[in-house]
Amino acid sequence: MLRFILKRLGHGALTLGVLITLTFFVIRLAPGGPFSKSRKLSAEVLANIERAYHLDEPLYLQFGRYVWGIMHLDFGPSTRFRDYDVSDILASGLPYSLTIGLWAVLLASVVGVALGVAGALRRNSIADYSAGIIGVAGIAVPIFVIAPLMQVLFAIKLGWLPVGGWNDSWRSLVLPVVALSLPNIAYISRLTRSAMIETLRENYVRTARAKGIGGRRVVWRHAMIGALMPVIAYMGPATAAMITGSILIESIFALPGIGRHFVDAALNRDYPLVMGITIVYGGFLIVFNILTDLVRGWLDPRVRHV
Amino acid sequence: MKLDLKQHWGGALLSVALALSSLPALAQDGVLDRGIGSEWSSLDPHVNFDAAAAWVQGDAYEGLVTYAPDGAVLPGQAESWDISDDGATYTFHLRDGLLWSNGDPVTAQEFVDGVLRTLNPETGSEKGYYFYSVVNIPGAEALANGETTDPSVLGITAPDDHTVVIQMATPAPHLLDLMGAFVMTPLHGPSYATHGASVFIDPTNMVTNGAYTIAEVVPQSHVLLVKNPNYWDAANVAIERVKYHVTEDVNTELLRYQAGEIDVTYDIPLAQIVPLTESIPDQVRIAPSTEIIYYSFNLTREPFQNIDLRRALTLAIDREVLENNIVRGGAIPAYAYAGGFDPSYDGPEIVEATMTQAERNTLAQELYAAAGYSASNPLTLNIVTTVSEDSTRRAQGIALMWKQTLGVNAVVEPVERKAWLDAFYAGTWDVFADDLVGDFAGAESFLAYMRPSAEAGYNWQSQAFEDAMDAAALLPDRPSRNEALAAAERILLDDYLFAPVAIVPSRHLVNPALKGWDTSVAGYNNSQWMHFE
Repeated sequence: MLRFILKRLGHGALTLGVLITLTFFVIRLAPGGPFSKSRKLSAEVLANIERAYHLDEPLYLQFGRYVWGIMHLDFGPSTRFRDYDVSDILASGLPYSLTIGLWAVLLASVVGVALGVAGALRRNSIADYSAGIIGVAGIAVPIFVIAPLMQVLFAIKLGWLPVGGWNDSWRSLVLPVVALSLPNIAYISRLTRSAMIETLRENYVRTARAKGIGGRRVVWRHAMIGALMPVIAYMGPATAAMITGSILIESIFALPGIGRHFVDAALNRDYPLVMGITIVYGGFLIVFNILTDLVRGWLDPRVRHV
Repeated sequence: MKLDLKQHWGGALLSVALALSSLPALAQDGVLDRGIGSEWSSLDPHVNFDAAAAWVQGDAYEGLVTYAPDGAVLPGQAESWDISDDGATYTFHLRDGLLWSNGDPVTAQEFVDGVLRTLNPETGSEKGYYFYSVVNIPGAEALANGETTDPSVLGITAPDDHTVVIQMATPAPHLLDLMGAFVMTPLHGPSYATHGASVFIDPTNMVTNGAYTIAEVVPQSHVLLVKNPNYWDAANVAIERVKYHVTEDVNTELLRYQAGEIDVTYDIPLAQIVPLTESIPDQVRIAPSTEIIYYSFNLTREPFQNIDLRRALTLAIDREVLENNIVRGGAIPAYAYAGGFDPSYDGPEIVEATMTQAERNTLAQELYAAAGYSASNPLTLNIVTTVSEDSTRRAQGIALMWKQTLGVNAVVEPVERKAWLDAFYAGTWDVFADDLVGDFAGAESFLAYMRPSAEAGYNWQSQAFEDAMDAAALLPDRPSRNEALAAAERILLDDYLFAPVAIVPSRHLVNPALKGWDTSVAGYNNSQWMHFE
C-alpha cells in the first residue's frame, strides 16, 4: 500500500511539474502584459515597475526564479492586487472556497446517493421519476439560470436569505451551497441509480439473497458498496473542483473565494496569481484522485490487484 | 506585505462554527453599503489608480483640498491658498490642529513626502506623471525616472509645518482639481517606516487623515470604514460606518440593491436601464463622466490617410440612434472630443452637430465617392473593440451604419481588454474603438493626450495644434485658457483623426433614503457628505 501511495505521489509531482512549466510559458503567449494600460506608461516608469517584478529578466531566468520560489512556498507578488503576495491571496480566499465546497460535497453526496438508491429500488415509481426529473434538470439547467432564480425567490420575494456577500453568518452559505451542489446531486443520483441497478443483478448479491438474507440488509451491506464505486470515482475530481471555488457561484453570490481570482488574474495577466491558483487546483486534483483510488482499493479488492 | 494567516483560517473556522450554531443575522443599521465593482488593485494611496478605489481613498484620506458632492473644490486639509499673479505658484495654508487618526499632528512636510513616495521608482506608482505631465512641476520627472534621488529638486516644498508651496514651470488653473486625496495624500512617516506598504491594508497599524479610518479589509469581499474621531470636521460626519462591497457581477449587484443589501450601486445592468428608468426614475442616477469614446482611424494605413474618407466615416455615424436605440446604455452622443461634460468649456463650434442625419449622410456619401470608393469598389475595414456588451453593440451599430450609408464592409473584432490594448500598439486595426478617461474634469486633459509628447501612439501631429496648445498653456485663468483650448480642439477635430462618438455615463442606483449623494463629472462622492433619512 505504501508503495502504491509513494508511486502515485511521484506521478502526481511529475504531473504538477509539467503543469507548472506549461502554464508558466503558455500564459505569457497571451497578448498584453500585467502593466499594459490604456494610458501607456512612460518607458522609464514601465522599466522601473517591470524591474521591481523581475519582468525585465530573460524568461528562463524568471522561470528559474519562480521554481526556486515555490520550492520555498513563495508564490511571488501579485501584479493585479498590488497590496498582496499570491500566498496572501490564496490564504484569504481558500477558507471561503473550502467552506462552501465542503458543505456542497456533503449535501451533494448525501442527497444524490439517497435519490439514486430510492430510484433504483423503486424503479419506474413516482419517486424514481421525480428523482430522474431532478437529475436531468440539475444537469441541463445551468447554474447561472438557477442561481439568480433562487436569489429572486428566497432573498427578494421571501426575504429569508441574503442575495450575496459573506456577512450574514450561516444564511450567506445556504444559497451558494445549494446552487453548487445541484448539478452534483444530479450526477451522483444518476450514477448511483444505474450502478445500484447493475449491482443488484450481480452474482454476489444474488448469492446473498439465495442465502436468505433480508432485502434491506442485502441493499445496505452488500449492494451499496458496489453501487458507490462509480460515485467515489466521480467524487475525487468533483470534490477538488467544488472546494477550489466555482467561478460562477462566487461571482453570482459575491463570495470572496479564489475562483473569481482565477478569472480576474487571467484577464489582467497576473502571471504569479494564475500560477498560484493553477498549482493549488492541480495539487487538490492530484491528491483527491489518489485518495479516491485509495478508498476504492480499500472497498473493492479488485481495484487493489489491478 | 503579509496577511495574518492564522486570522484568516480562524475566520473560516469561525464561519463554519457560525453555520452550525444557527445564529440569527445581526442587523446592520446605519451602515452605508456601497458597490465598488471589481476588486481594488491597491489601497495604497500613492499607488491606487482605480476610480472606484479612489472612493475608499477619498473617505480614508484627505488632500489639501476636497470636493463637494457636485464636484466643486472645497478647502480640505488646507483651509486657504494663495495663487501668484502668474498662476504658477500655489501656497496652501493648513488648518490649525490637524490630526492623524492616531492623534499625531499632520505636518506640511508629510504632503511633500507623499508626493516623493509617489514619484519614487521603487514605489512602482503609475501616478507620477500627474506631477510632470498633467501639471509641470520642476524636478518631478527626474525623480520619477530615477535620474536623481535628491528631494530638493522638487518644486513642492514645506517651508514650515503649516505651509505647502507648489511651484510650477507653467501656470495650470487645473492644479486644484488634482490636490484632493487621489493625488495628494500625505504620508504618515512613522507608521510607514515601521511597517512598510503593508500599513495601507492592515487596520491595526493604519493611520489616516480623512473622515474615516479603515477597520477591515477582506480581499474580493469588502472594505469597512468607521468614522475617524480625530478628523477636523468629524462633528459634521453623519454616517458612522461605510462598507464598500466588491460587486463584480452587475446583475447580482442589482438584486442586492433590491434586497436592501447595497445602498449605492457601482453600475446598472445594460438590459435593466430602460425598465428601471421607467419604474424607479428617482433612484436611477445617470450622468456624464470624464470618459469619452471615440473611433480612431489608423493613419499608418493608406486608405485612412485620405481626410475625405475619415470625414465621411465620421459623418455617417448616427450617434443619437446608436446610443439611444442600439446601445441603450445611457451614454451621451458626442460630436466634440474634449470636455463635452464640462459646463465651463464651450468648445469649438461643430458644423456636424447642427446638421440633420440626412444631411450628414448625403455629405458622407459625396465625400466617400470623392475618396474613390463606390458600390463596386467598397472600402473594407476592421474595427477592434473590447468584448464588453455596450462596446460590442456600439461597434456593430457603427459597422451597420457604415454599411447602410456608404456600403463599407466593416468587420467587428471584439477582444478582451488586454488584447485590445495590445492590438492598439501593434497597429493591427483600421478603426480602433478607443476611449480615454480624463485626468481631471477639463478639456486640457484630453487635448494634451493628442500631442506627440504624450506618446499616445496616434501617429498624428500638427504644428498649428502644437502652437495652439503652447499658447493655451501660458494662460493662468480658466476662462481665457478654455477659449484658447477650444481653438486647439478646432484644429484637432478638423483633421478627423478620429470620430467622437459618445460620453460614457456614470450609472448608479441610489437608495431614496440616502441624502447628500449627487452626481459629478469626476465622480467624487465622499461618504462624509451623506446621511440617511
